[in-house]
Amino acid sequence: MCDDSGVSHSTRIVRPLRREAQPASWWRALLGLLMLTFALGLVARRYGMDQLAPWALPAVVFIAALVLVWSPLDGAVQSDPRRPDVVSLFSRDAWARVVVGVGLAVAAVAWLAQWDFGNRPLLRAILVPVATVGAAALVLAPWWMRLIRQVSVEREQRVREFERAEIAAHLHDSVLQTLTLIRAKSQEPETVARLARAQERDLRAYLYQDRCSEADSVATALTAAMSEVEDAHGVAIELVHVGDAPTSDALRAVVRATREAATNAARHGSEPISVYAELTAAAYDVFVRDSGPGFDPATVDPDRAGIRHSIIGRVERHGGTAAVASAPGSRTEVSITMPRKEQR
Amino acid sequence: MSVRVVIVDDHDVIRVGVRESLDDDIEVAGEGRDVESAIEAVRTHHPEVVILDVHLPGGTGGGALDVLAEILGTAEAPRVLALSVSDAADDVVAVVRAGARGYVTKSISGPDLSDAVRRVNSGDAVFSPRLAGFVLDAFNAAGGEVAQVDEDLDKLTEREQEVMRLIARGYTYREVGEKLFISIKTVETHVGKVLHKLQLSNRHELARWAAQRRIV
Repeated sequence: MCDDSGVSHSTRIVRPLRREAQPASWWRALLGLLMLTFALGLVARRYGMDQLAPWALPAVVFIAALVLVWSPLDGAVQSDPRRPDVVSLFSRDAWARVVVGVGLAVAAVAWLAQWDFGNRPLLRAILVPVATVGAAALVLAPWWMRLIRQVSVEREQRVREFERAEIAAHLHDSVLQTLTLIRAKSQEPETVARLARAQERDLRAYLYQDRCSEADSVATALTAAMSEVEDAHGVAIELVHVGDAPTSDALRAVVRATREAATNAARHGSEPISVYAELTAAAYDVFVRDSGPGFDPATVDPDRAGIRHSIIGRVERHGGTAAVASAPGSRTEVSITMPRKEQR
Repeated sequence: MSVRVVIVDDHDVIRVGVRESLDDDIEVAGEGRDVESAIEAVRTHHPEVVILDVHLPGGTGGGALDVLAEILGTAEAPRVLALSVSDAADDVVAVVRAGARGYVTKSISGPDLSDAVRRVNSGDAVFSPRLAGFVLDAFNAAGGEVAQVDEDLDKLTEREQEVMRLIARGYTYREVGEKLFISIKTVETHVGKVLHKLQLSNRHELARWAAQRRIV
């Protein structure tokens, strides 16, 4: 099934409707920081300033520095968490924050380095360099991200350029050609209508649908069959398809029978012609319905092969059933049911 | 009694076409060409029904969803009929879940469109065969065995499934009624209930189905 492939959406030209989230304001981060400071203050009151001061205060200063450096990123992360737009970090009004932030970070690390770690020189020798490197990495991360971002932007541009060329080629091969044909045949309304309908269907499929092969998707196979009937007989068929699965032999028989039924509807019935297909775990049900004028099934000449062979016979060979309901003056409906035992 | 409508579509040709094809007893009060002008037109003219294209420029990129978020929710909010060329299930269902009372494709005939407008105006839901198909798909009614679910909202009743299936097969409301031996009013009630479920359900299956098609 092509819905599940995951990549199928990248093949759809028109993006689904999407609403962007409102960017949250940066003061929330500051508020959080204030509350954190307050909490630290309370802890300091509880355990005494001397115990806490040597590492906690530099940490707070460092977090403040990080918030400053990273704050222009806030809106960017909101709009797309996976690919933050770090460009805003390097905008003009952000540079002051960056300078102050980097200064604060350096000061915080220096402050921490002053501490003697409770007279444990070994711990100090290990922790100070580690803290320095870690702090530098955290503060400099936006620059690193920009580098990565630039690479991906370039790649995206190449992909977009490629896609654009492909879309242009498709439009040229389809829409432009059809328009030229329509202009040439403008005296023949039938032809123009047929061309326009075929082109509309083609463009619609190109824009809105995930493209699958007929073997992978019985829905695609049935859609293609109905398109052929539309083109051959110059009628419009409204097809609604529920569920999908790879096309097995039995399902293909149903598609062929449906095609025959739709051809009959196009030839003898009137528009609108509706085709509804529902694929469940248990069966594949298809209904083909025209809008009259109907006929009496009992009076059909036994020699006529259409219904008997092409629809009923074809389906029954694969274990399914088909029935035609009609009466003079009413609509004709062909119903086809194919059990799906072979799938389970 | 004439129905006042506002037509929203970003293509002039379509707006003119829709305006021409509507019956005489439907009065076109205003038009919109993008999200902003649509909201403006609805606020100025207070129509009873808005005929709303699904894909619109402007706003935050949500097209009809932006318009719906803005114009619904007040006491005198208009009823909305979505009109689209899009066959994409996610767009259609997203718009209906956002509050549209019906969905028809742009290939609909003039009398049918006028009929749909009147139906929406009188509070009924308008389901095209395609929308009925999407609903059956979304509620996994096609799966046959529907797992036990707690809430009635999350499941179509047997009767609602029958009605949806017949609409998907191209039956008009009247024909559905005749086939099931129920009145056309009862058919409308069933369709209204399905619309309600589609809008309010948070059924697990629906969420999964929507995620597959990237509906938020």
